[in-house]
Amino acid sequence: MKFTWFHLMPYRWLPADFRERYHSVWVDLPNGIYDPEKGHDLYNEYLDMLEYAEQCGFDAIAVNEHHQNAYGMMPSPNIMAATLARRTSKAMLLVLGNSIVCYNPPTRIAEEFAMLDVISGGRLIAGFPVGTSMDINYCAGQNPATVREKYREGHDLIVKAWRTREPFAFNGKYTKLRYVNLWPRPIQQPHPPVWIPGLGSIETWDFCAEHDYNYSYLSFSGYKRAQNMMRGYWERRAALGADDNPHSAAFFQQVCISETDSQCEKEWWPHVDYFFNKCLHLYPGTSEAPGYRSEASLRAGIVAQFGNTTQNMGIDKTWKQLVNEGYILAGSPETVRQQIEELGKTLRVGHVLLGCQIGSAPAELVNRATKLAGDQILPKLRHLYSDYEDRWWPKALPAARRAKAGAHIPVSAGAPR
Amino acid sequence: MTEPKSRMLDLGSGRPRLEVQEAGSGPPLLFLHGAGGVAWDGALGLLAKHFHVYAPSLPGFGKSPSEGLELIEDALELWQLGFDVMEKLGLDKPLLVGESFGGWIAAEMAALRPKEVGKLVVLAPVGVWRDDAPVTDLFGLTIGELLPFLFHDMKCPAAKNMSQLTTLMSDKDDRTQAQIDQLIGIFLGFRTAAKFLFPVPDTGLERRLWRIRVPTLVLWGAQDRFIAPSYADIFAKRVPNAQIVSIERCGHLLLAEQPEACAREIQRFAGI
Repeated sequence: MKFTWFHLMPYRWLPADFRERYHSVWVDLPNGIYDPEKGHDLYNEYLDMLEYAEQCGFDAIAVNEHHQNAYGMMPSPNIMAATLARRTSKAMLLVLGNSIVCYNPPTRIAEEFAMLDVISGGRLIAGFPVGTSMDINYCAGQNPATVREKYREGHDLIVKAWRTREPFAFNGKYTKLRYVNLWPRPIQQPHPPVWIPGLGSIETWDFCAEHDYNYSYLSFSGYKRAQNMMRGYWERRAALGADDNPHSAAFFQQVCISETDSQCEKEWWPHVDYFFNKCLHLYPGTSEAPGYRSEASLRAGIVAQFGNTTQNMGIDKTWKQLVNEGYILAGSPETVRQQIEELGKTLRVGHVLLGCQIGSAPAELVNRATKLAGDQILPKLRHLYSDYEDRWWPKALPAARRAKAGAHIPVSAGAPR
Repeated sequence: MTEPKSRMLDLGSGRPRLEVQEAGSGPPLLFLHGAGGVAWDGALGLLAKHFHVYAPSLPGFGKSPSEGLELIEDALELWQLGFDVMEKLGLDKPLLVGESFGGWIAAEMAALRPKEVGKLVVLAPVGVWRDDAPVTDLFGLTIGELLPFLFHDMKCPAAKNMSQLTTLMSDKDDRTQAQIDQLIGIFLGFRTAAKFLFPVPDTGLERRLWRIRVPTLVLWGAQDRFIAPSYADIFAKRVPNAQIVSIERCGHLLLAEQPEACAREIQRFAGI
């Protein structure tokens, strides 16, 4: 099993009466309540957490993409990954954005991912979310009735651009380019591994199996509620004739790790409360544009615009409920380790994306948890599924061949690097 | 009230199959529905006493399969589809009536091929935009919140009837299959509207209004909170031969809230 340290980058200063005063954390929350100076500290603090995760032994560090969202302040995951590419050297870089339909032309994504792959020495994992309806429809104005088709076309263009060594013309419905000719092209051949984040639609499973991509189930409701969904994933793979390699799947899980079980609730509850009761405060009217999901997916799931999206989101639950129901894995390193092992075995996932920072949790607490995980959890679980080949992991340059950031800056007298 | 007959219209391969409802006798009236689909219990039943009313449903509405939407690539093909339907139904210069979303399509059809349209009636059409009076976001509100934007009087029979829909928006999974189908139906219709109107319903119609060289009646609810009644002035200014009539005590869904007044105005305008 491999471990990725995953950051959402929530804004930390939503007011105490946030839910009463504002109708959503997303889309139309006025940016007047965002303080850029606090944001300056926060970005740097959060990036430090990710860099520290590498030092603590995490296999990868991850960023994602949201727009106009106070719990996810990375409208450009590539900018975050670029800073990390320079400041880290061992961890793989999982970038679970770029929402293809938001970029015009999509070759921009092929270019930026190639840049990240080249800068980092081949450490990139390329994520291609369709994007939530909030992000791509309501914030980016993409048409819900055609967005899936546009996504597929953009994906095909990007992959072809990565794979092709001569200029070619691309005559798509949504993008027409006379000369596609990627400079630079990625280090990894034929291209970086692709991971597709999703929320359980069959269409996405089929897409992953068809292209041999990793499927990353990103849920805030934890592994216990994901059992049926992931069972469906494995059954679908079997039906399609794809193998049962656990590394074809990743699962996002939020964790709260303290030295002991007894101190955990006291240390983490304010931050967990902040996340579930402020960060997940969403307005149903802009949660899903008509056409975003197919009729089949609609029938299978909750009709968000008509129903209550907060139903399974963990709002108004107690610490005990959130822990018992698996929304968060909380406790001492050993307690959390046992649950991650159960998660890995029951969902059959070879990749765990750990949300080690939650809500308003500050660096001191988070870094402590990261260190505990690195020392006491990761080493004890790495053996799980290690006999399966991981086709979804970067083939980076050997460490000895990777450039060292800063190596070419002259050292002037009295100014140590 | 005259009960409509329903049938499926086959326009040929590669083109959507559409349900057409029709009733009444008299001169032909082609009705293009809004984002809520065809409703006979409002003004259409009244109009069927004087006209032969034809009311096709776009893909995702009524019994028209939603997959047909993939066969309408863009707005031009949507307007052309309107003429395909006219041709298939054998309508010669019908009175073309469209409400809201359908009002936009009707106006575009009249601008595109004015010689094939007899007269035009548009009821609070979408398609035009003013920054200082933005059109309400059809796709960014829950249905319960949307309704007060659509009606002047939330106690009128049509508003009460439509308010029943909000009871379907249950937090619990206690809906019947019929209720689920009804919800999915609303969603699929909205999806079709979204294909042409999302995210900002400015379709460029304003640049083409001068082309509508047929007698035109523009009806607008005096208390329309969905598209401000001031939008009627744009049509008055740009459509060469337009009458503007404001319907009192009326919101955006004119045919539902003031069916008699609307039917009366349409009859008067048609000269029947």
